[in-house]
Amino acid sequence: MGDESKNSSEEPSQVNQDELILAQQRQIEKEISESIPLVGEMEPISSLNSEYANDEVYLEKIKDLSSKYKHIRRTRPDGNCFFRAYSYAGLERLLDKKDEFNAFYKQAEESKDALVQLGFQQFTVEDFYDIYMEVLKRVGDLTDVDDAKKTLHFLFNEQGYSDYMVVYLRLLTSGQLQKDQDFYSCFIEGDRTVADFCHQEVEPMYKESDHIHIIAACAALNMGVRVVYMDRGNNKSVTEHDFPEGCTPLVHLLYRPGHYDILYP
Amino acid sequence: MSEPQSALLLRKQLAELNKNPVEGFSAGLIDDNDIYRWEVLIIGPPDTLYEGGFFKCHLYFPKEYPLRPPKMKFVTEIWHPNIDKNGDVCISILHEPGDDKFGYEKASERWLPVHTVETILISVISMLADPNDESPANVDAAKEWREMYGEFKRKVARCVRKSQEEC
Repeated sequence: MGDESKNSSEEPSQVNQDELILAQQRQIEKEISESIPLVGEMEPISSLNSEYANDEVYLEKIKDLSSKYKHIRRTRPDGNCFFRAYSYAGLERLLDKKDEFNAFYKQAEESKDALVQLGFQQFTVEDFYDIYMEVLKRVGDLTDVDDAKKTLHFLFNEQGYSDYMVVYLRLLTSGQLQKDQDFYSCFIEGDRTVADFCHQEVEPMYKESDHIHIIAACAALNMGVRVVYMDRGNNKSVTEHDFPEGCTPLVHLLYRPGHYDILYP
Repeated sequence: MSEPQSALLLRKQLAELNKNPVEGFSAGLIDDNDIYRWEVLIIGPPDTLYEGGFFKCHLYFPKEYPLRPPKMKFVTEIWHPNIDKNGDVCISILHEPGDDKFGYEKASERWLPVHTVETILISVISMLADPNDESPANVDAAKEWREMYGEFKRKVARCVRKSQEEC
């Protein structure tokens, strides 16, 4: 009995604490989603300065960054930023290169069957695939590149479309990891299988991306990316890393701890 | 999008479940005008204590489905370690991504956008057969299940009988 009375006095406060933390988390998410668009407008690199007004380390690095890039496009920090930034920036670039866009489209068309062959349920993959293809088709059908880019921007700021793009890219990334699991298993910490890792870290929404996600996403879409790292480290310049190594990157992303934005040379 | 993607997806799933029913449960809507609130009848799985029971449950889907999970509640009274005394089902696949509320679960078991009503129900039916007493939502039921199995069985049997009468 002694046990029980102890439990009943502890449990409510325990639950309340958790509820409070969750409620606060939702509140923060709400504030972020109300103040930061999913994908923002293009801004000059110098717009970063205001975020680091008194921070010599960052200001120095922004100077270095602005010698390499002219513009930045911010994305919402919701854990999906890599996937959202990467697919937006990739499609935006491809719209300038009709042939490459068509090849990309063809590869995307075939991707669903590949996922189903890997064991994904057709019924559930289909929905995300359909929206993904709808977006590609809608921007691809427009002959005027500026119109196409405007439509792309519009669709990526429609929560329904934008999030489905992220889900499908997460599925493609998961598929890539599982297809080449012999290779990727070396990079997974702990005694998790690649499939476990995909279920825990890749397929769930709002889960942040690491190197392994980036490598697999680039392999899945066959589209290279340069990630420019900017952190509080001591060197005066930003660090660049291409995925896959040695590629000519189509997409350029800025990484600051925990977040990716799009860069424009 | 004239109708949210979530509504389309749920409509599609409902049509599919009506066309090709899955063994172990039947699904419909609480109110035909509201695609976000489902009523499901679970048939107590054979060779378990719940065999012969008919358990009515409600599923409440958020507008963000399938990015966020639905909530599930047993309307029929049921005694089970992972269903709290209000009927709320507490299994990890129905927990929000990144939701560490109880701190016990591995992320592996969290909600994924590829889950459907069918995969949820399959998990719940398997939970009926095989409770997880490491993370009980009904502490008393979990304790009985571990330490006073006879008493546990008697309470479940009473729920099963009651569910048959209500049906």
